[in-house]
Amino acid sequence: MNRALLPEMLHCTDMTVLERQRARFKWQQEQELQQQQQQHHQQESFFGDLSGVFQLQLQHQGLQGDLGEVVTRSVKPDPASMDNGWPGLVGFGPSGYENNNGSGFDVNYAISRTSSCQPAVAGAAVDATVLAESREPVMSEKLSPGVGRENLKKRKVDKLQHNTKVVAEDESRDKRVKGCAGEGESMNTEKNNNKSSSTSKNSTKENSAETSKDNSKVTEVQKPDYIHVRARRGQATDSHSLAERVRREKISERMKYLQDLVPGCNKITGKAGMLDEIINYVQSLQRQVEFLSMKLAAVNPRLEFNIDNVFAKEQAFPAPTTNFPETGMSSDLTNPVYLQFNQAQQQQQQQQQQLFSSSGSIPEMFIDPSCFTHIQPSSTWDAVSDLQKIFTM
Amino acid sequence: MRAPQSLKQEFLKKWMVGLQLCESTNQNMSILERKKAIKLSADIAMASTRNGMTCWSRALVAKTSTDFGNKVLVDNILLASQSEKLKNKRTIIRRKKILRKSHRARKARGGRVVARSLAKEMVKKRTQVLKSLVPGGEFMDDVSLIEETLDYIVSLRAQVDVMRTLAKATELMNGK
Repeated sequence: MNRALLPEMLHCTDMTVLERQRARFKWQQEQELQQQQQQHHQQESFFGDLSGVFQLQLQHQGLQGDLGEVVTRSVKPDPASMDNGWPGLVGFGPSGYENNNGSGFDVNYAISRTSSCQPAVAGAAVDATVLAESREPVMSEKLSPGVGRENLKKRKVDKLQHNTKVVAEDESRDKRVKGCAGEGESMNTEKNNNKSSSTSKNSTKENSAETSKDNSKVTEVQKPDYIHVRARRGQATDSHSLAERVRREKISERMKYLQDLVPGCNKITGKAGMLDEIINYVQSLQRQVEFLSMKLAAVNPRLEFNIDNVFAKEQAFPAPTTNFPETGMSSDLTNPVYLQFNQAQQQQQQQQQQLFSSSGSIPEMFIDPSCFTHIQPSSTWDAVSDLQKIFTM
Repeated sequence: MRAPQSLKQEFLKKWMVGLQLCESTNQNMSILERKKAIKLSADIAMASTRNGMTCWSRALVAKTSTDFGNKVLVDNILLASQSEKLKNKRTIIRRKKILRKSHRARKARGGRVVARSLAKEMVKKRTQVLKSLVPGGEFMDDVSLIEETLDYIVSLRAQVDVMRTLAKATELMNGK
């Protein structure tokens, strides 16, 4: 029942840490009866010094970045055992992760920030969870030379133990993607690693690995610009596919706006055809500018354009007595057709589009019968080309 | 934020300022020189209506001011039209690039794959052309290219409208 509630929490950026904790607390009460309590208490002591850092950093959706981790946990045999470090840090219930398993997985990925997780760390976390308590000495020994250096080995182990599980495999792929992180972020994780290694003297290594992982994720989660994406069934969910999908959606959306803006683009399907049309349109506009400047230069022997007169007329744009095309166009503002698109567009562009894009029929818009008395062709483009021909002759 | 009519008026005002400047610097021009001056001032005016908000306007200003002799004029026009912002903000804002996975070489099996790659190729070619058309387009990624194209088209339309109106008006006045 609470799973429906969780996505909203994830979406809500301005939620404070306190509110989050409170919400988490409810979950905690429901699922508190797990066996990790004793470990929880023992680890609380050494995580106490880090908790201040975490609480500062956990402004935004700390859990979004952790989704990958959540996924791996959902498949591991003993999910609760690894969560011990977390409640000590921020006071979150250990159940917070488990509850995320179902809802968080398909709800949203923070694309840009899943990329900074250190692969080694994630692998270590998975390893540690997979191995039972009896194997722990081996693991800690393995991890002890340094968290950052052991990437490959750990990932190998990780794969060995998880290759039967699809989700885990997917996750490991994700981690590999994460491996190519930006320098700044890697620096960050490195710093965290140092920190955690210093604290890990009196603790097991896997926990330090987890803290560094959480740390890095939380810091990158800080960034306010993120996109929610929902992967449909059957679609790839690794961060690159998602990013690519978002990009494509963005482009197609902009293309739609362009389609509205460019005349004659409505009937064309396909990106190439639309681009063709856009290119033609831009070229024709540029040629028109060229041509009109030529025309102005020809009409006027000097550069002064009787500006006072013209200005007097131009300033009186909306006045019905002037026979400029602007008067005809201003009536287009009232047309309700334009109001239906472009809510998402910048307001500036929106207003301009409302005026300019009269459902793809520029010629009618440009040809004001009162205005073009001596150029009276069927369409403005023809007029321009005709005049250009005249000019070149 | 701003009505298109005020956009046109702003453009016209700035253009007139630019024309006056051109006129004052050079009195006797041939028709080609005049045309050049008119076009230049119109372009600058159009770019300066954007106040340096868009890539294409910045690129346009940068491009026009690289031509010899135009620099002074451009600066003067920008100065006269009080768009200092445009000059100061010439750095191009680039978006964060998404690292893409390297595509594995796919074997062409069947017509569908061929068609798809063909379509992709066509789109790529046209995007290149569009990039060459929009000022500063070489430095844009796909998404911002389309956004800038939108903005550029709107501005070009305003420019064309105003210029046509002016040509019309001067013709009428000369005829009378």
